Amino acid sequence: MSQLQVTNLHVDFGGLRAVDGLSFDVAQGEILCLLGPNGAGKSTTLDLICGKTQPSGGSIRFEGTDISQMLDFRRARLGIGRKFQVPSVYKELTVAENLSVARSSRPGIWYALTRIALSDGRAAAPILERVGLETKANDLAGNLSHGETQWLEIAMLIAQDSRLILMDEPTAGMTIQETERTAEIFRSLSASHTLIVVEHDMSFVRTVADRIVVMNRGAMLAEGTIEEIETNEEVKTAYLGH
Amino acid sequence: MTTRLYYDLAALVVFALVIVLGVPALMGFDGFELNTFARYLALAIVSLALALSWGSAGLLNLGQAATFGMGSYAMAMHLKLKASGEALPDFMGWNNVPELPLLWVPFHSLGFTLLAGLLVPAFVGGLIAIFMFRARIAGVFVAIITLAFLVAFQLVVIEQQGITGGQNGLTGLAPLSLMGWTVDTYGVGFYYLVAGCLMAAITFGLYLTHSKFGLILRAIREDADRTRFFGYNVANYQTVIFCISAALAGWSGMLYTLVLEFASPTYMSVSFSLAIVIWCAVGGRDSVIAASIGAIIVNLLEGRLSDVFVEGWHLMLGVIFVLVVMFMPRGLHGLVSDLWQWLRRGAGKQRNSSPVPSVGRQPVKSGQER
Repeated sequence: MSQLQVTNLHVDFGGLRAVDGLSFDVAQGEILCLLGPNGAGKSTTLDLICGKTQPSGGSIRFEGTDISQMLDFRRARLGIGRKFQVPSVYKELTVAENLSVARSSRPGIWYALTRIALSDGRAAAPILERVGLETKANDLAGNLSHGETQWLEIAMLIAQDSRLILMDEPTAGMTIQETERTAEIFRSLSASHTLIVVEHDMSFVRTVADRIVVMNRGAMLAEGTIEEIETNEEVKTAYLGH
Repeated sequence: MTTRLYYDLAALVVFALVIVLGVPALMGFDGFELNTFARYLALAIVSLALALSWGSAGLLNLGQAATFGMGSYAMAMHLKLKASGEALPDFMGWNNVPELPLLWVPFHSLGFTLLAGLLVPAFVGGLIAIFMFRARIAGVFVAIITLAFLVAFQLVVIEQQGITGGQNGLTGLAPLSLMGWTVDTYGVGFYYLVAGCLMAAITFGLYLTHSKFGLILRAIREDADRTRFFGYNVANYQTVIFCISAALAGWSGMLYTLVLEFASPTYMSVSFSLAIVIWCAVGGRDSVIAASIGAIIVNLLEGRLSDVFVEGWHLMLGVIFVLVVMFMPRGLHGLVSDLWQWLRRGAGKQRNSSPVPSVGRQPVKSGQER
């Protein structure tokens, strides 16, 4: 059974229909790439799944539960993680503290009140090693470079350990080597996690995507493997115009 | 993070030594002199309570004086009943109140009074917090709502003369007797009672800021939405720190009534509430110890200045506050920690003759925009 089912999803922003009757399924462990021209509603779709935006109609089911009216933090507890387009780490916290916040399998207050914060700093070490930030654990996140900030965000997603991870342009601003390394991490994640990735970098999409959904004007235009999409006439028209 | 904990513990020990040994020795263990200082220590607790909600969680509570007043009145009601014995408290007679109001009856018990002084502020604070934070109200609107509550609450207290003593407050109180010990406000023992309370409050505050709870609050302060997407119920975290802060303010109010031997509606005035913000800002809202020191320093200054400049000291206090906000947004604590960083970097440079690139290591000017 598919892990996430989006059925006939709608959302209106003051008369503008940003997502219009969108339906798709994502299977457990799959990497789904969302493509589409600017304004196609890709980021909005992620916002709807994670609860940042409330849908005007349609349903979103995650592992059998209808989450379309659920509050954002409850969806996160169910196992939906989100990486935003703008790197959003906590600049006033250290790298280790950022990971400690991300490690949120027990988000309750009582648990937090009875834990000294530095105790789970040590658990962060293997994750930091994986993204190459092990020497920066005690640096303020605000002092990291742009690339390092991206890595920290990916480390935070690994620490959060969501079953479904939503990524908005994870490789924006990365060098080719960094992009390749990100692709590698994504492939290793997909064994235990499902990923939905919005991405413009086609070579990256080619390496990671199991399946692609192309959106245009808030609706699905095409769906399939990379070969099917690249030869699809409708997709070409949508991208090139006329 | 680990190093910060050691700094804070070292600061706690130094602060404790100064308060427990230094200050009494300086005053020659004279109870009368120490009474003035006990007043500053009592006020330090409400300042550190604000540091917890404002500094850690970024919630500027301008209604702190209301919860302070609740604690203060709770204690005063108990002591007034003791002073009156079997008779009705005197001011009720003047207001034609026929019998003891129901609200007053349980305050015969000291245990109830102490609990009420902590829990009533926590409950009221929690109620306001739930409405505000469930609706995801943040930033300056928190300050406006709490300020409005404070004004309304003070009005009600003044209006309900028969129960609260109105504009006069509650005066003519009996001394507190604590487990057979009659507390002499001008004794050395009383000073140590207040000092002990302050140290307990600081230790508790330090624990909170170094717990994961404190970490999540700092995360919420910086980016509440991001924190929600990690699954944290932000509103609950904010409500809990609001309650804790209110309870500590109530505790401070109880001690304050003991020091001054009366409770007055001026404790719930806007100017008093703003004074708490000034103490906290001068000391540094990032640290509970710094906020306490801020309260002590400003009140000490106020005591000295108001002796010399009877009319002008309020103006001076205002000028000091403006200067602090403009030039040291993180208060004395920020100044000291920047200085410390600068000294350490200077020492490091001397050791390795090649200059270490220090770009990107500038202290983050946090909170300037807030």
